[in-house]
Amino acid sequence: MDLFDSILYGFQVTFEPANLLFCAVGVLIGTMVGVLPGIGPVAAMALLLPATFHVTPTASLIMLAGIYYGVQYGGSTTSILVNIPGEASSVITCIEGYQMAKKGRAGPALGIAAWGSFLAGTMSVVGLMLVAVPLARAALSFGPPEYFALMCSGLIILTNLAQGSIHKALMMALVGLILGNIGLDIMTGLPRFTLGLNELTDGVGIIPLVMGIFGITEILTNLEGTAEREILKTSLRNLWPSLKDWAEAKWAMVRGSIIGFLLGILPGGGAILATFVSYAVEKKISRTPEKFGHGAIEGVAGPESANNAAAGGSLIPLLSLGIPPNPVMAMLFSALIIHGIQPGPLLIRDHPDLFWGLVTSMYVGNALLLVLNLPLIGIWVQVLKVPYKVLFPLIILFCLIGVYSMNNTVFDLYVMAFFGAGGYLMRKFGYEPAPLILAYVLGPQLEQNLRQALLISQGSFMIFITRPISAAFLVAAFLLLISNVLPFVKKRRKEYDAFEE
Amino acid sequence: MRAYDLRSSLFWLLLAIIVLIGSIRMGVGRPSNPGMGFLAFGASGLLVIFSLLLFLRAHYRKEKPGVSLPLFSGDWKNVLLVLGFLIFYSALMPHLGYLISTFLLLTVLFWIMERASILHPVLLSICSTLLTYVIFSKWLNLQFPEGLFSF
Repeated sequence: MDLFDSILYGFQVTFEPANLLFCAVGVLIGTMVGVLPGIGPVAAMALLLPATFHVTPTASLIMLAGIYYGVQYGGSTTSILVNIPGEASSVITCIEGYQMAKKGRAGPALGIAAWGSFLAGTMSVVGLMLVAVPLARAALSFGPPEYFALMCSGLIILTNLAQGSIHKALMMALVGLILGNIGLDIMTGLPRFTLGLNELTDGVGIIPLVMGIFGITEILTNLEGTAEREILKTSLRNLWPSLKDWAEAKWAMVRGSIIGFLLGILPGGGAILATFVSYAVEKKISRTPEKFGHGAIEGVAGPESANNAAAGGSLIPLLSLGIPPNPVMAMLFSALIIHGIQPGPLLIRDHPDLFWGLVTSMYVGNALLLVLNLPLIGIWVQVLKVPYKVLFPLIILFCLIGVYSMNNTVFDLYVMAFFGAGGYLMRKFGYEPAPLILAYVLGPQLEQNLRQALLISQGSFMIFITRPISAAFLVAAFLLLISNVLPFVKKRRKEYDAFEE
Repeated sequence: MRAYDLRSSLFWLLLAIIVLIGSIRMGVGRPSNPGMGFLAFGASGLLVIFSLLLFLRAHYRKEKPGVSLPLFSGDWKNVLLVLGFLIFYSALMPHLGYLISTFLLLTVLFWIMERASILHPVLLSICSTLLTYVIFSKWLNLQFPEGLFSF
């Protein structure tokens, strides 16, 4: 099939009634999750994953992906109207979006955010189609050493792009690898670190782990504060931006889309980093940088485009290499595994309905989101008014039901509570959960590839150096690590010299 | 942050040592024939090194007096209460069934959030429990525990 036939085939799959319904449900839930602070895309996907067990893998993936890019749309509403980011990827939109709303320009801010998201989402889907297929073909020549090196460098890039300390991010990745080791050994079938508990022979479940670390932790953190929200009373008319707004925002949207798409591909990059980079770029190249911080429309258009483009970009490593670049993609990875589909270079060839159906559903989903976010904005403002004191107990209940329904065992509830408390303490002590989740998901594959590579080489680690692709990945990862350590060493040397003097 | 890093590094160090010992017991194997503790040995070994480095860095780091923030600010008692009731709920659900245990949990959670009259939390939790029971158990056919009272 050539590209055109594939796209047509994809639309055929997307327009099957069940898939279309799941696409609509996904973007609707995504927008709601984006609007409401307290539950992020990862926890929402974990919550709804058990509900997709009885449908086809394509419908399941379409819905889960819809939640992800729907969240990016919905997050902007809260940022602009309440000055509280609905999602971490909407933090930067608060700066300019809320200022615009305060000046009575909430309508154009919401409008440009929705249009920017739509254009970026569409552009990233085109990019995804063009890049994923050739990359998957190239990845067919990868063996265990290449995969091991790729996963190692992915984890190292992820820790480098972590928001906090790289040192702590690396530690979290190691803890994730250890967690991924719990359960039956893939080669001998014997239990490891199960503490004698039968429930742990299949390992720690991804759903209770993610719900604990992301869902429960978020609620516990919010419980500490007063958590009061004040919605700005402003005009929501003129949602269609003026020609002047378009002129000011159009290149910001294009730049945001490109930045978001490229950073989305990188492990750990994702939507959050893309919005910060896009905002910084817009501010730097603006002819009127003094407008930034006082309601510059480019500061809304760029980051909002970037976070949506990143959603499309981050699907590339997952669908073509089988490597999730961020925790959201780790959830999609788990969904594929649960449905008996191995993510990787063979996915596009063996499951064209899933790949092309998913890609084209994103076109349809983006169009649906435009309808949901502009004419129906009033409904989302009403959703924003649901008080925390009602919302939080219900979110906890949905987390409990979601986790319990996975295996019908209360053991998973204990696991969720344990990781909820652990995630809360990790946040307090400055540890980021993303490297842990990713290493946990990649751990079993990483181990399998490492052991297979060593068996092939009869115990020689040189196999990772003598094979060019593997060596290139490892050298890149090593250089990245060194680039972080060198400034630290230089600083210490200067301090020592100063002390000597 | 210095005190937090000192404490957390010691925790990770302890965990890493436990895993390291466990992986050695399971069998690390040889590079030509890696055992089932191979990866855990490598990961926990690196975690020992990183934890020690974090401890040393935190120990020798100078922090201005008064910079350190309290670990638990705000209403941290609510956090402990919610966590405690989550564990209690997990223990109670197989015995009391979904309806009763969820009603109790939600009443407590709504009450923690409101801290005013008990009537409002009770009404909210009755509605939420019944609604979720109908949606998840009757419509979506999820198997909730029935408990002692068989409902």
